[in-house]
Amino acid sequence: MARKPRREPGTLEREVLAAIAAAGRPLTPAETLAELGEPLAYTTVMTTLARLHDKGALTRAPAGRSYVYAPAAAPDTLDAALTARQMTRLLSAGTHRAETLARFVADLQPEDEQLLADLLTTHRSDDGDGTGTGDGDGNSAGAGRADGGPRR
Amino acid sequence: MTAVALVPFVMSVLLAVSGGWLGRRLPPATATRLLTVASLVTALATGFILAVVAFTLLAPMPMLAAVGHWSATVVRGHDPLPAATGLLPAAAVAGLLAAALRRTITVGLDLAAAERTCRRLGSAPTGLVIVDDDRPDAYTVPGLTGRIVVSTAMLRALPPDERRVLLAHEHSHLHHRHHAYTQLADLAAAANPLLRSAAAAVRLAVERWADEDAAATSNNRGVAVRALARAGLARSGTVTMPSAALGAVHTDLAHRARALQQPPPTPRPVLAGVLAALILATAGAAVDTSHATERRFERAQATFAHRR
Repeated sequence: MARKPRREPGTLEREVLAAIAAAGRPLTPAETLAELGEPLAYTTVMTTLARLHDKGALTRAPAGRSYVYAPAAAPDTLDAALTARQMTRLLSAGTHRAETLARFVADLQPEDEQLLADLLTTHRSDDGDGTGTGDGDGNSAGAGRADGGPRR
Repeated sequence: MTAVALVPFVMSVLLAVSGGWLGRRLPPATATRLLTVASLVTALATGFILAVVAFTLLAPMPMLAAVGHWSATVVRGHDPLPAATGLLPAAAVAGLLAAALRRTITVGLDLAAAERTCRRLGSAPTGLVIVDDDRPDAYTVPGLTGRIVVSTAMLRALPPDERRVLLAHEHSHLHHRHHAYTQLADLAAAANPLLRSAAAAVRLAVERWADEDAAATSNNRGVAVRALARAGLARSGTVTMPSAALGAVHTDLAHRARALQQPPPTPRPVLAGVLAALILATAGAAVDTSHATERRFERAQATFAHRR
């Protein structure tokens, strides 16, 4: 089985940010680890959260013996959302507009929808535990990352 | 004009016919790079040769011959065509050049808009901007630094492993500057409409490239397939019942999904080599035509000077 390549630190930072945003509420490091759904070391998550806080991407508030982390409420979040939406509309107008935005999934053709629905059904069944939210086993940093063992 | 001058036109037709096939057959990163270079070289070569043909045909006109100090007879050579036929390639070159120019301006404006959007989206230390929006969407905005924009609705729609795939996919676009390839290929297609299918192939190849990078974050390629399917359905907002006729779907998205269900792409050194050789031949044809034309005009000028 192919070994998972080493990730650069920025990748984990983005995943942590996304995990906290997906939860929709402030998370403790342990909850973040669970939300990441990956056998990462607890200390790795702690470090990443601290780094994101230092960079101003997360705010934190003391909670018990630890902190809870929340996305830094950018003063112009609403403005940003609006801008992003305008951008989307602007660039999807016209037939041969430059593909300035690289979308994960572009607009679907009618036949695409059925294909995707089918794929989701087939791949759910042959995939053992597909959508677990993580067991947060927090195995130690060295052993946890380097092995090529089965993973989700 | 020799037969060599036809090579770029043959290459254009080859790319028009097989561009899509090449894009799917070659590994995505190779396909992206080679097809972009092939498009640019072919567009430049066809434009250049058309310009040379136009100029050579028009050159025997007395007015031009007098200005350029060359012998009309020598320049005309063995071409039996009257000088006025040179207006046709001249018009073609002018039209294509104008299209390329228009395209360049559009791309420039789009990039400026993208850069402004990046600024307005804030500093984003990790490059990821999460937008509080109840419409599921995820995309990359190019710019000096670029941004990955994901809506909270999209994040909530995906389980953690698929979220990872999505982020890795978008990061791959930024990291490898995929928009530069698609825009250059589009520019080439504006300058030579035969290259449109190659430009479409490049657009698909960068998505496949990002898909492969994203699939590499997990040991299970099925996760990437699911992420693609779930994100697509979340975006379209439809709940469709599964049906038959899977294999009949021939969209780009279907190709991406099918490719992810198969093992990672293998290198195709022979095919890549052939395409690289064709690119060199196309460039070589333009250079050769340039030399031949230069010699012809030198001879014509020598004759003109001698007669005086």
